[in-house]
Amino acid sequence: MFRKMLAILILVSLAAMGFAGGGQEEAAPTVDASGNGGFDWRAYEGSTVVFNFPNHVHYNAMMDSGVIEEFEELTGITVETDMMQYLNMHDKQVLEMSKPTGDYDLISMVVMWKSEYAMADMIQPLQPFFDNPALAVPDYDFDDLVPGYVEVTGIAGGENIYRDGPGAQLFGLPFGSETSFLIYRKDLFDEYNVKVPETYDELTEAARFFAEEVPGVYGLTMRAASGHHATHGWLLHASPMGARVFDDNWEPAFTSPEAIETIEFMKTMIEYGPPGMEGFTQDEEFAAFLQGDAAIYLDASVFAARAKDPTVSEVHDKLGFALHPTAKTAGSETGGFGLAIPANAASPEAAFLLMQFLTMKETERKVILAGGAPFRMSAVNDAGLQAQYPEFAVLAEQLKYANPDWRPIIPEWGEINGPLLGTAINQALTGQKTPEQAMADIVEPVRQVMIRAGYIK
Amino acid sequence: MSSHGIAGRKPLNAYLFLLPAFAVLAGVLLIPIVNGLRLSFFDWPLRNISKAPVFVGFRNYVELFRSEFFRASIRATLIFTLSVVSIELVVGTAIALVLEGDIPGLRFFRTLYVLPIMIAPVVVGVVWRFMYHPSYGKINFFLGQMGINPVGWLSDPEVAMKAVIIADVWQWTPFVFLLVLAGLQGVPKDLSEAARVDGANYTQTLLFVKLPHISSVLGLTAVLRLIDSFRSLVVIFNMTFGGPGVTTEVLSLHLYKTAFISQRLGLSSAIAVILLLLIFALSFVLIVRGVRGEKR
Repeated sequence: MFRKMLAILILVSLAAMGFAGGGQEEAAPTVDASGNGGFDWRAYEGSTVVFNFPNHVHYNAMMDSGVIEEFEELTGITVETDMMQYLNMHDKQVLEMSKPTGDYDLISMVVMWKSEYAMADMIQPLQPFFDNPALAVPDYDFDDLVPGYVEVTGIAGGENIYRDGPGAQLFGLPFGSETSFLIYRKDLFDEYNVKVPETYDELTEAARFFAEEVPGVYGLTMRAASGHHATHGWLLHASPMGARVFDDNWEPAFTSPEAIETIEFMKTMIEYGPPGMEGFTQDEEFAAFLQGDAAIYLDASVFAARAKDPTVSEVHDKLGFALHPTAKTAGSETGGFGLAIPANAASPEAAFLLMQFLTMKETERKVILAGGAPFRMSAVNDAGLQAQYPEFAVLAEQLKYANPDWRPIIPEWGEINGPLLGTAINQALTGQKTPEQAMADIVEPVRQVMIRAGYIK
Repeated sequence: MSSHGIAGRKPLNAYLFLLPAFAVLAGVLLIPIVNGLRLSFFDWPLRNISKAPVFVGFRNYVELFRSEFFRASIRATLIFTLSVVSIELVVGTAIALVLEGDIPGLRFFRTLYVLPIMIAPVVVGVVWRFMYHPSYGKINFFLGQMGINPVGWLSDPEVAMKAVIIADVWQWTPFVFLLVLAGLQGVPKDLSEAARVDGANYTQTLLFVKLPHISSVLGLTAVLRLIDSFRSLVVIFNMTFGGPGVTTEVLSLHLYKTAFISQRLGLSSAIAVILLLLIFALSFVLIVRGVRGEKR
């Protein structure tokens, strides 16, 4: 009898502790701040989420900020991290997602793979998760996520497959997303009284000035290596210059005068740039600015945190930020990374909890403080953060001009991006062909891709 | 009658004993090759791997031979392979001849020369990429000290292939050196001594005694290096990833990009078949010539 009573007593006290567990969570700083006390974070306690993400400034900040450990403590879910070079993630992700059950529960994808994954049913639509009250954090405030980032990182199936519109579904959430803006060496611009470029003509003039007039300093740093990097570099300038990859009928449009002019501009920048820039990957583009060799950087906005990091940047205290210069129009990039859940994930619900946790306001702030990039309007427009991060004010303005149709991220983009377009652009940049010839030579191969995929009848 | 019976069973027994070896060969070699050959007649995108491949006949091969980048890739492969194999054979043999005698401290030098083979190709690629870096690389730094302008080692289409060849020669010459040295040590001493007594000078001894003696070793080394360099991927992958343009995009890298970036498994199988045929043809020529040489 005594034994029985003792057993009941233990059971009751255990149950009480279980409820009290919720109370303890409320006491945890993250949950307390978001007021999600009623939400049960521990529903998937004991499960494991395998998370594949890039070695990238934003994800490094995530790791440094301690939010992963916080999530583990809050939920009792174990997070296994798998960090890779960003362009190498694709092969691994496709292989994992082609198996009956993959190793990954949560992936970070470069936005250009979004449609490919979504159309092949490799990643799961997120709406069913958000509709499930047991899984959706009550005050997540989805509408606060930068709308342009959500469209480019997460939405597929609408207009042109990769845009929003009828039939579109949400497949991903922005985390490490970016637009482009200008970072310049304020000390040099001030010393030599050079105007911070607002137009491409002024940009060309500033690059020429530093390359020719200031010893040891070059103009703009840029990625241009054969393949993906050359295409990215070209698209950055193609958008404001009015060049497009396809016309409205999916016919190649990269032989247009604007497209050729964009390559000519890049060739000029190479002339005024650090030696060997025509072979630069993103890492080398960054290094040239961090080492103080280049006076101007015009590319992904997430680089701002690294440029300001005194441990890696020689120029961390000499920076100015400005809008992406305009040519025919104003149009900055939309790209970077988004989080998605593979269709064959072993623990999709736990992965969704982690996905939400990482993109919540409180987590975002911690990641920003560790050197990450903002992805919520509330953070970009926050006066306190703007005072601490001068680039946020520029970013808030730049986002108005971020071009959601910056690149045609159809499922077949991978076949066009590096192997055809990026190779041809690099051939032109390295003088193997004239820009006109290089682009004309890939019209037919690109058309064949589009015919095979059914875009051109 | 009985002897006839035994004679009749003999070949059968022999085949029976061959069976396990054949089964292993079929499992690891024949079946994958036949499957690869079969796949080269299909269209099978990696991103839709769950769907069945579509038969397209010879269309993959037609597409390949129409593709400018594929033709450039064949050209890059031939330039790369023939250059590295010939340079490595000449340099490796020369070093072996120098270090063949009884010089003090020889063992130390032999070990030193062999070190590059032991380094993982990924590391070799990354280290050479750093050394070739236009602004921060050691090579341009030393050139700068001598007043020479920076060279775009990996970005200049005229130079990139040479830069890649230098890295491969650096890594694989020791391999040739090792094999040739072993061959040279197998040359009977009395042969070269007899030649010298007969009044032959060093060049004559080398040309008419030593080299003929090690010709089969040289042939074998050439075949091994040829096959290996045809398939080499990792060093170039890390150094140039095929650039500038497609000037260093050897077939194995073109195959990788076709399979994993363009995601066309059928087309990449067609490249694999062509790569296999090329290696087979070149090795065949060398092996047949080697066998003939031995028979003589």
